[in-house]
Amino acid sequence: MTAHHPLGEEIQDFADARLTPARREDLERHLATCPQCSRELERLRWAKQGTAHLPMHEPPPDLPARIAQALDNEDRRGSHASPLRRYLLPAAGVLAAAAAVVMLVSRGPRDLPSAVGRDFAAYGRAALSLDTASGDGPALERYFARRGLAFRTRVFDLGMMGYGLVGARVHQLDGRPSALFAYRGVDDRTLVCQMFEGSLDQLPQGGEAREHNGIEFRIFKEHGLTAVFWMEGSVVCVLVSDAPGEDVVQLAYAKAVKV
Amino acid sequence: MTALDPERKRALFEATALPLTTVLYNTALRLTGASADASDLVQETFLRAYRTFENFSLGTNCKAWLLTILYSIHINQQKRAQHAAISLPSEALEARPDENAAGGDQRLPELDERWGPEVDRALADLAEPLRAAILLVDIEQLSYEEAAVALGWPVGTLRSRLFRARKQLFATLEGYARATGYLRKPVRPE
Repeated sequence: MTAHHPLGEEIQDFADARLTPARREDLERHLATCPQCSRELERLRWAKQGTAHLPMHEPPPDLPARIAQALDNEDRRGSHASPLRRYLLPAAGVLAAAAAVVMLVSRGPRDLPSAVGRDFAAYGRAALSLDTASGDGPALERYFARRGLAFRTRVFDLGMMGYGLVGARVHQLDGRPSALFAYRGVDDRTLVCQMFEGSLDQLPQGGEAREHNGIEFRIFKEHGLTAVFWMEGSVVCVLVSDAPGEDVVQLAYAKAVKV
Repeated sequence: MTALDPERKRALFEATALPLTTVLYNTALRLTGASADASDLVQETFLRAYRTFENFSLGTNCKAWLLTILYSIHINQQKRAQHAAISLPSEALEARPDENAAGGDQRLPELDERWGPEVDRALADLAEPLRAAILLVDIEQLSYEEAAVALGWPVGTLRSRLFRARKQLFATLEGYARATGYLRKPVRPE
């Protein structure tokens, strides 16, 4: 039985039914004998119940018509625009990333730096969602294995560098199965990593080649977006971010392992 | 979802996404605090969702997907307006149970619809990240995992902010209950 008071967040986990059965039983026994923690549970439940009585506001009467008009305009625009132009329609808030994508897309559809740039921009504007949210790297590696990725993944712990893991998805990177996982930095920057089976030979000419600790890196920079590629065995790893380019390179240097 | 012909796409979107207009509007209203801003945010959310509808998997949680887009637009609008410094209150609301709040020998009042406006005001007083956590988990009933993805936070951050939000909400509502006489000592037998 829990001898000490649990953290309030664990009492919240109890209220939200997020504990394992064993831990739940343990906490139930504690709550039965601890008025202080029982009161904490009561307060959390009371606050939660309060929101159940919030008034529901009706949208303004003209809002449905405004939405319909916006969709009509989009349909008309879509019927006249080329697929490339439609893709390039700028998303609010990711203009810098979109500008980078414009440059990268011009290289052609089978260009890996273009593809990772597109994925980064899509994630930034919430057009590409994560399958699972977790800050637990090993759990995400198990997730990738369960989802049938045929190669071994390494989900980096970048906590010491100020990046927290947000989650992951099993992705198709320009037709290749890839493990995609995303980080959020303390400065609210985003970092996206992808891993897939392949070779650096598949990268286009250009970019910058560097070597660090016996590992070859290929670096592509476009308008504030940096993509750093390297190999681990038969797996290509790439980090992409709109963080300062050299910071992205240093992150790759710190995490790359010679296999 | 594979590519759809335009008519089918529009019909599916209207059947799947547009019924959530009121949900999105209420969330947007509580994020922005103004009806006109909330309407603009909802309209932009639907437009963005429509453009990327092929990325949505039918049968998955459409509300979570739309709220992810809505929050992303809202945050980016705030950054553009140079209101990016979203401050969180200090860690005054500590993680351990405290002895000072009500609920000891005092009975917490029943909550009913009369409390709605007061809860709305208390929510509006929360720092935005705390308010967002409450909006998505307690009001829109997203799982921690769905809400974390929508807000772009690790699950641990969502859990911690949700806890702080509920504690602060409790403190505000408890103050209201005391001021209005709702909070009372239990009736003890003579």
